[in-house]
Order: sequence, then C-alpha cells, then structure tokens
Amino acid sequence: MKKISVVGLLISAVTLSVIALFLYDPYLLYSRFFDYTGMPAYQAPPNAKPKPDMGEITVCAEQYPEWRKAYTIGGIDIQASDACNPDNPYEVAAFVRGTNNVIMPVLMRTQLSDDAVIKKDDLDGDGDPDNITIRVEVAELNGRSPDEAEFVPTYEIAPGIKPGAWVFAPKSRGMATVNREDLTANRLLRLPSAPIRVEQGDNITLILENTHYFPHTIHLHGVDHAFSNNDGVPQTSEKMTMPGEQHVYQLKPRHAGTMMYHCHVQVQAHMMMGLQGLFIVEENKPNNWVQTFNVGAGKVRVPSKGVLEDYAQEYDMHYQGIDTSLNNLIQTSNDPRQLAKKMHRIYDITDGSDDYFMLNGRSFPYTLRESLITVEPNQHTKLRLLNGTPDVIAFHPHGHKPTITAYDGVEVNPANRIQRDVFTLSSAQRIDLDLYTKDDGLNSYGEGVWLVHDHAERAITTNGINPGGNVSQIVYRKYLNKNAMAKVEGVSLMPYFTPEYYQGEVPSWTESDPYGYWADVAGRDVSTLKDVLLIIVLGMLFGVVLLLLKTLYACLQGLINKMTGEPS
Amino acid sequence: MSAVSRKIILIGLLLGFVIPSSYAMRMGEWGMVMNENKEKLPQGCINIAGEERIIIKAGREYAKKFPGTIFGYSQHEFSFPKCTRVHVTFINEDDIRHQFMIHGLPAYLHSQSMFHIELYGRGETSGVFITPNTEETYLAHCDVAQHMEKGMKAQILVGGGNGNLPSVPGISGQLIKDYYALDASIQNLALIAILFLIGFAASIFFFIWNKK
Repeated sequence: MKKISVVGLLISAVTLSVIALFLYDPYLLYSRFFDYTGMPAYQAPPNAKPKPDMGEITVCAEQYPEWRKAYTIGGIDIQASDACNPDNPYEVAAFVRGTNNVIMPVLMRTQLSDDAVIKKDDLDGDGDPDNITIRVEVAELNGRSPDEAEFVPTYEIAPGIKPGAWVFAPKSRGMATVNREDLTANRLLRLPSAPIRVEQGDNITLILENTHYFPHTIHLHGVDHAFSNNDGVPQTSEKMTMPGEQHVYQLKPRHAGTMMYHCHVQVQAHMMMGLQGLFIVEENKPNNWVQTFNVGAGKVRVPSKGVLEDYAQEYDMHYQGIDTSLNNLIQTSNDPRQLAKKMHRIYDITDGSDDYFMLNGRSFPYTLRESLITVEPNQHTKLRLLNGTPDVIAFHPHGHKPTITAYDGVEVNPANRIQRDVFTLSSAQRIDLDLYTKDDGLNSYGEGVWLVHDHAERAITTNGINPGGNVSQIVYRKYLNKNAMAKVEGVSLMPYFTPEYYQGEVPSWTESDPYGYWADVAGRDVSTLKDVLLIIVLGMLFGVVLLLLKTLYACLQGLINKMTGEPS
Repeated sequence: MSAVSRKIILIGLLLGFVIPSSYAMRMGEWGMVMNENKEKLPQGCINIAGEERIIIKAGREYAKKFPGTIFGYSQHEFSFPKCTRVHVTFINEDDIRHQFMIHGLPAYLHSQSMFHIELYGRGETSGVFITPNTEETYLAHCDVAQHMEKGMKAQILVGGGNGNLPSVPGISGQLIKDYYALDASIQNLALIAILFLIGFAASIFFFIWNKK
C-alpha cells in the first residue's frame, strides 16, 4: 500500500512537471526539436507599460519676474537679466553700495544683516570706497533634522535631488527657511558659495563667522595676502575657527584676476561639501563700485569699470561635483561626533566618484532657469570659469570658439591668446574667456541656441541619467521666449523637469515615442486559459511534493526506530 | 521727484502694508527685535495678569551639558501663566549670529505668528511679549541653519502647556532617532552576559519549581 502510493506520487509529480513545462513555455522544447515538431506558434510579448504620469510641470517657477528688468537703485545701474530666476536687484544694490550705505527700504527687501558688507572711506579720492568689510557665514543645506524626515533647509539642485552641502554665504538675518511651514532655504542660502568681488588695492577685511557645527577657515587661493594668521591653513598659519567664533582676514590685493576662496580644514571633505567659491579682484579704476557678492554666481548685474571697458556683460561660471557618499552623510545622523568620524575618517575620497555635476549650484534642467548665457550678435561677453570638482573638466561651448584671456588670474600675452572649443581646467583652476559673438565661422557660427557643457561625458548626466549634469545654453536673445527660456526646435524638455525622470522611471524618449517603441516593457501576467491552468498545475505539483516529503520523513523515522530498536 | 526716489517711497509703502506691526520693529548693526508686543491684550485676556522677567543666554558654552549638541541656551524650558507680560533679555555669548524666535503666537499680535530677537554678534538686547490665553507649548529656537538641530531649541509652556515638543535638549527625545552602536568593551559585554544569565536562570528555576 505504502509503496504503491509512493510510486503513484512520483508518477504524478513527473506528469504534472511535464504539463507545467508545456503550459509555461513549450518553445523551450520546440526550439531544440523544431525539425520534428514544426515551428512554434506566434506568442505576443507583453505590452508596453502606460506612460508615467508626470503631473503638473513647471518649466520656469518665476517668483519675481519683475526683477529681470534693468534697475537703478541708489544711483547704481543694474543690468537687466534674462534668467527665469534673476538675482534680487535690491540685494545687488546693497552689495554694490554696502549694507551700511543703502536706505532701510532697500535693505528690508533683502535678507542681509546690516553689517554684511560695510564700505567706507575713499582714501585715494577716486570716487569709490577703499575700506571694505565683508562678513560670511557657513550654512548647511539639506541637513538632517531630529524632528522631521525632510532635510533642512531644503535646496534642490535638480528636480527632486537634494544632496547635503555646506556653503559660505553673505551674512544674513532672519530665518534660514522661507518660513516655519515651507522649509525651502531662503534665497541667500544656496550653492555655490557666493562669488566675492573686491577692487585691487582696497583694504579688505574678510570676516568668517562660523555659524556651522564644525571648525572651518578661509584660504584665499591665488589672492595676494600676507601669511601670518591669514592663510587659512591650520597646519601652517592659524588656528581653526571654531563654531561660534569669528576669524578676521586682512588683505590688500596688489594683483587683479579671477581667484578663489575655500575652507582649508579637512579639504578633501570640506571643499567637496561646497565650501569653495570664486574670489575676483577687479582692476583699480575710478568710481569703481564692485558687486561684492554675486549670489548664485551667473550673470554679474553690475560689472566693474574695468570689465565694462572691453565687455558688454559678464558671467561667473562655477563648476562643482557631488559625491553622494560624502555629501549625503550629513543626512545620516544629527550627532556632530558621528558626522565628524564618518566624513573625515570613514569616507575615503580615493574610492569616491562624483554623481552630480553642477554649474552655479544647479544641474540641468535647473541650469536653464539661472545659468543661460544670453547674447546679442557682435558682442563681447566675459566668462570667468572655476573648476571646483576633483577632476579635469573639458569646457565645451557649441557654435563658438572663445578666446582665452587669463589663466588663474594672470593675463595671457595678447599674441598667445588662443581660441578653442574645448578648454581644459584642472581642479581649482580658473580661466577667463572672451566669448565674441561675431558670425564669422570662427568666433561664432551664427545665432541660435547652443549648448555649453563639460565634455567629460559623465558630467552631462545626473547620477548617470542624461540629459543632466552641468549642461546649459548660450542663447541668442532673439531665441528667448517670454518665459525666459530658449525657443528650442528639438524635443520637449518637459520630462526633464520631473523628479521621476532622474529616478529613472521615465523612458528617455517618451515625448517623441507615441507608439511606445522604446517604452518600458510590462511584465507577463495571467491573461490566457493556459496561464490559468499553469498556476493550478503548479499548485497541484506543490501539494504532491509535500506529500512525497511527508512519506520520506515517515520512512526515515521508521529506519531510525528500527536501528534504535524501539517499537514503532 | 526722480524716478528712483518715487520707487523708494513706493517700496516703503509696500513694506508698511506687508508688515502690519513694522512699528514694533527695531533694527541696527547690533541685530533686531521684531513683532514685539508690549501693550495689546490677547483675545480672552481681561488684563495683564502679571509680569515675568527672563534672561536667556545663547552660545556654544551651553552645549557642553548635552552630548551631540554644538550650540545651546542657558535654559531650554520656560513656564508662564496666561496673559502675562514677559520681558525677555537675550544675551549672545558667541561671536556669530544667534536668535531667540518664538513661533505660533497669535497672528493678530505678531506678524507671521512670530516674536523674534536676533543679535548679529556678542551682546545683549531685550524685548517684550504677552502670553496668550491658552494652554499651549510654544517653540522657541534659533533658526540660523542647523542651530536648532544642534541644540538651540527651547519650549515655552503657557498655562501649563500642552505637552512637550520633540528633541528639546534635556527634556524630550528625537522623533528621527540617531543610531548608536553597542559598546563592545569587555566590561559592557560581561555585564550584559551576567544580566542575561540571571534572567535565564530565574525562568528555568521557575519552571522546575513549578513542575515539582
């Protein structure tokens, strides 16, 4: 009886398995034996998944479109800006005049503290102030909160992408966030660390007020400054500036040019966290009120007298990379002791690689909102580039061959000023370019919307998803639409403004693919009678196997009982 | 009148409109006191029930008591009766900006429901507010980026309050908890082993004793 049932069970198992195999995919067998069995019948692959719902898409989230026009505030002529999100002109005025020299209503339209930029004393009588005091604070973006899962203050570099970062920011007042409900960072707290402009020969007092929870310093890279207690290097020139403390840096730069500043404490981590910015020394000219900070970099709305002699406009372009395995550490704990260890002793930059690539603190498509280079034909535009990434970048403008005028703040001999369409910048290197929009087939190929990006291909992605990274555009103004975006003739840019696109949930060509040729493939589902039978047969097979196991167990039990001599 | 000055006047008017209690604002190179309320009675208060004076010191010094913080206040909890006029003296002992900002107060008394004292550096200032006629716990903090998260957080209990706020140093725990690994030293492991054995022996003993 027992034996028969075992044999019966075995036969059932084999039969059910064969049936299941045929029901699942007879072609597994046909493809080997089609000579004998004939060709398999057509079986349609699964359908495409429906297109993802991307919800409401805003290309230009314009808060203050009126800020785009040219202003005159406090006697300062502020150039118009074509950016979707332009700089606050009142802030620009306060930076140019000094927060001590603007009237209260102007200061109230900014979030600057009264002592952020103090400008006094025209010592040489040339019409501009020569004693300048600049205060910077250290702000954390997308940090951790012990109270809520959201990062504070929130700062998006691209749709849905909020890496942790630290920045030097002009000294501000009031809340770090928009308000208690909206935890978005206020406009002054953003990447990159604000470019600082000073005039050659001025007495600069740069005060670092360390509002952060780690020690920091400022190293004035390439800027003429005395060594003692002034070089920002904890191992050579000074003690670190501790949380709650300030450090005063004194300088009177004799040489003009595009330089940089950065924190020199645990540089491999702190510089990559974002504590790096452009530091520009403008040539000494009469009546030269320079724009001390250019928050968010990009267009300089009040270029210096020296720049305006040769150029119609000027753009600051700061390239940065983010390795999420460093930057997002600040989102893993609220305890500074744990963060200090994770960031400086466990994180190993020699194993690191950048995931995000930013131009002026944003990745494509948000670069289009702030970092378009808008030009007219036959115009000279000054570009100041800084490579803040740990890799070489290959700056490539489409449609143009700009002329290099300075390396690391040192003028290139006019006879040696080369024109290229790929400029390499090592880490921390700066170059000044003259973008000349003369349609002569060399300087420019004519009007249009021309991409501008780092041609190291990883840098045109956001964590591997293209288009992303530090891609922006040179736009001839006749191609601008009223929405402050370029009139493009290619594919729709809409999907790029959704977080889903950068999470890899949207097929790359979805807007150009009405038939779903390259859509995501849906999985196999229970749709035919065969599928129904297959599942039932599999269930039966499972039952038979269980019964077999039970019999096997009973056999073994009997065997053991026999060996130990106990009655079964 | 020039276009510029006209623009400035316009801005001034706009600002006056936007900030209804702008008269209650003091600002200078030292810092600011915003939305102060010395006189106006909150709804439901018949009169000023009393006067209180507090001194709040802010700085790195006060973080020493609480591991894992960097900034702090000299006191992290304040209790006041309802309808009480509170005179706040705020002292900043660091060389950077700190704030003492109370949120959630009645919006008809305080623009953005906020009473705000800020010092741009080392120094002292004071301001006044009147507690509402409610039993509520109010948040007071410094909103310089990460200062609240790293310890500058206090709660103000009016009329006994309505419970604690999260992660107030020395008072309440975190909602988004930090993870701490086990101390793997011999002493700690030995202690754990001994306590575990005591528990194990007790339960075995109980079963044996029960069977008998």
